[in-house]
Amino acid sequence: MGVVVEWLDAFLWGALVVLRVFFVALIFTVVWGLIGASAKLSDSAIARGIANAYTTVLRGTPELLVLLIVYFGSAVTLTGIAKLVDPSVKFVHIPPFWAGSLAISFIVGAYATETFRGAFLGVDRGQVEAARALGLTPAQTFFYVRLPQMWRLALPAFGNHMNSLIKDTALLSVIGVEEIVYVADRATTMTNKPFTMYLVVAIIYLGFVSVIIKTVAVLEVYANRHLDRAR
Amino acid sequence: MPADSGEPIIVLDQVTKSFGGFQALKGVSLNVVRGHKVVVCGPSGSGKSTMIRCINRLEEHNGGRIVVDGIELTASIKNIDAVRREVGMVFQQFNLFPHLTAVENLMLAPRLVRKISKKEARALAMQYLERVHIPEQADKYPAQLSGGQQQRVAIARSLCMKPQIMLFDEPTSALDPEMIKEVLDVMGELAQEGMTMIVVTHEMGFARSVADLVVFMDKGEIVEQAPPAEFFARPRSDRTRAFLGQILKH
Amino acid sequence: MSFELALVWESLPKIVEGMGLTIELLVLSLVVGTALAVGLVLMRISGIAVLEWTAFVYTYIFRGTPMLVQLFIIYHGLAQFEAIRDSFLWVFLREPFWCAILAFSLNVAAYTAEILRGGIQGVDRGLHEAGRALGLKTHQRFLYITAPIAIRLSLPAYGNEIISLLKGTALVSLITMYDITGVARTIVAKTFAPYEIFVSAAIVYLCLTWLIQRGIGLAERRFGRYVRR
Ligand SMILES: Nc1ncnc2c1ncn2[C@@H]1O[C@H](COP(=O)(O)OP(=O)(O)OP(=O)(O)O)[C@@H](O)[C@H]1O
Ligand SMILES: [Mg+2]
Repeated sequence: MGVVVEWLDAFLWGALVVLRVFFVALIFTVVWGLIGASAKLSDSAIARGIANAYTTVLRGTPELLVLLIVYFGSAVTLTGIAKLVDPSVKFVHIPPFWAGSLAISFIVGAYATETFRGAFLGVDRGQVEAARALGLTPAQTFFYVRLPQMWRLALPAFGNHMNSLIKDTALLSVIGVEEIVYVADRATTMTNKPFTMYLVVAIIYLGFVSVIIKTVAVLEVYANRHLDRAR
Repeated sequence: MPADSGEPIIVLDQVTKSFGGFQALKGVSLNVVRGHKVVVCGPSGSGKSTMIRCINRLEEHNGGRIVVDGIELTASIKNIDAVRREVGMVFQQFNLFPHLTAVENLMLAPRLVRKISKKEARALAMQYLERVHIPEQADKYPAQLSGGQQQRVAIARSLCMKPQIMLFDEPTSALDPEMIKEVLDVMGELAQEGMTMIVVTHEMGFARSVADLVVFMDKGEIVEQAPPAEFFARPRSDRTRAFLGQILKH
Repeated sequence: MSFELALVWESLPKIVEGMGLTIELLVLSLVVGTALAVGLVLMRISGIAVLEWTAFVYTYIFRGTPMLVQLFIIYHGLAQFEAIRDSFLWVFLREPFWCAILAFSLNVAAYTAEILRGGIQGVDRGLHEAGRALGLKTHQRFLYITAPIAIRLSLPAYGNEIISLLKGTALVSLITMYDITGVARTIVAKTFAPYEIFVSAAIVYLCLTWLIQRGIGLAERRFGRYVRR
């Protein structure tokens, strides 16, 4: 245990990185999910095609591979562009933090697309018609009638997506993001206590996941409060 | 009390049953004579299902005695098994096994419980499917049958175990009007063959023509029991009158 | 900067060589993991508090931590203990292959147990009652009524779990193994053409995913004949 105390600082910083990645990726995930769901439900065959390709590819490709494609792919592209401007440039890349956050948001965004799509369809058409009949604009209908009912439907699945996001952050050590697996790697080489170090990582993740599960449970109770009263 | 002669095959004596703090049966007593048909009616929540489910131990009663064909229902597994062999049950929602065809639904229990061979079980099953007039549906899955057909398969499935007593819990209330008759007809035929039956139903026509005894329940109690002629002509309690007034209006 | 199709064409055969290992990992872990899952789910519904609780905690831990961390604890971590290094198990546990099988199996078991539990809960209570009324014993009801229906109900989620595992097997490239991803990474290290090579690898995975989906679709039809009207 003594060894762990020495590395506590590093693990705390690592945990903070995990949280930063998580929140950044969470925002992007919601964005991709909403765009994807709108595209899937749109009248445009092209939009639907692109969205379908997006979800099929990202749900069928290993997370690690997506991460490598995003990080190294973008680096090659950026380096290529930079060389056009300044031939002496060797290597340009997106900072690993951002590449990693983007990559895992792409992945989980594909799942969120399906969740949001389902939630959107789950809201009774009659609700929308009632709102329109009352004279609400389409935008008002969306924000005041559809969205509040959607998020209740999406919440359980979205809780799982958040768990996937937080767990996927473990991959980011591969591209050099200094999160907790990275810390454990370093700690292992210094102390030769790999089991202890990775166990600490597991415990930290278990803590994060527990917080997410609890939060979602509380939110679910809140989201379904109008149903409770009816009983 | 009906002054009927004959030995009772089912005896309920001051049976009570509660769910948590709620008392669903508050001391129910009923004797059913062998070969008799008893129709049970009463408002929703009055304890009709609970009562008949206690008879084959789908619910465990808390007080009083239940004796079925001389076997007292206690915690004894042996007695429960013995009673279940004597008693068949038909549910409102059919409860056919969705993954088995009609004939397989009928064959399952004879094979597993009575350990008869597959071939014998199939012959037995076909015989009973004929009795409910749907041998041609033998190899269809429940989802491919109409509600009335499903309920008839369910009746045949119970009969395959050769029970002495059949319990019916609102067998026609999940059915469309045009299918109710085909199920009631099968039940009527069964009644004529001398089966002892307890039927929870609001089909008062069936009660009039088939029942030996009509039982009215309310709030966990048997309020009134009488032969149908008497029951419908001169209901004694106000609660019975109010109830009959309501359902006969339709 | 341009995407060289020729490179994709050249590297595909090599990547497909890595596919053998990927499939081996997938199938072995799946078989072992599913068997464990059946045990876990039986514990979960046993009605015996200790067993239920143990299975619950197991599932919670394995679903609550990244598979990468589970793999690393087994592959890097176990060596920390002399007792393990000295035991006969070390023959297996020093091999990345068996470490991966162990980690993936334990992981799949947790997820699959949850899936099966969901399937069992999805079986209509009325069917149990019908079984009881017909005199079937508890184990007969489980074997002939609950299990077949629960399996059918679990199939779609189980299919997703297989795909999830397929994707997870890519992690072995981080513990010195040459599966599809591992091979792709070595080629990229040589050619520095990440798009072409990694995309080729992704295509191989997508084909496998497609096959799995087809397989599950067939199984659903096979086990689910009764659902169609
Ligand atoms: N498993 C249970 N747990 C708690 N309460 C129950 C349970 N089963 C029945 N009850 C309650 O017991 C009472 C009697 O229920 P029962 O199902 O016997 O009524 P019923 O006369 O069959 O009504 P219905 O006509 O609606 O079928 C009801 O108030 C019901 O809410
Ligand atoms: Mg009832």
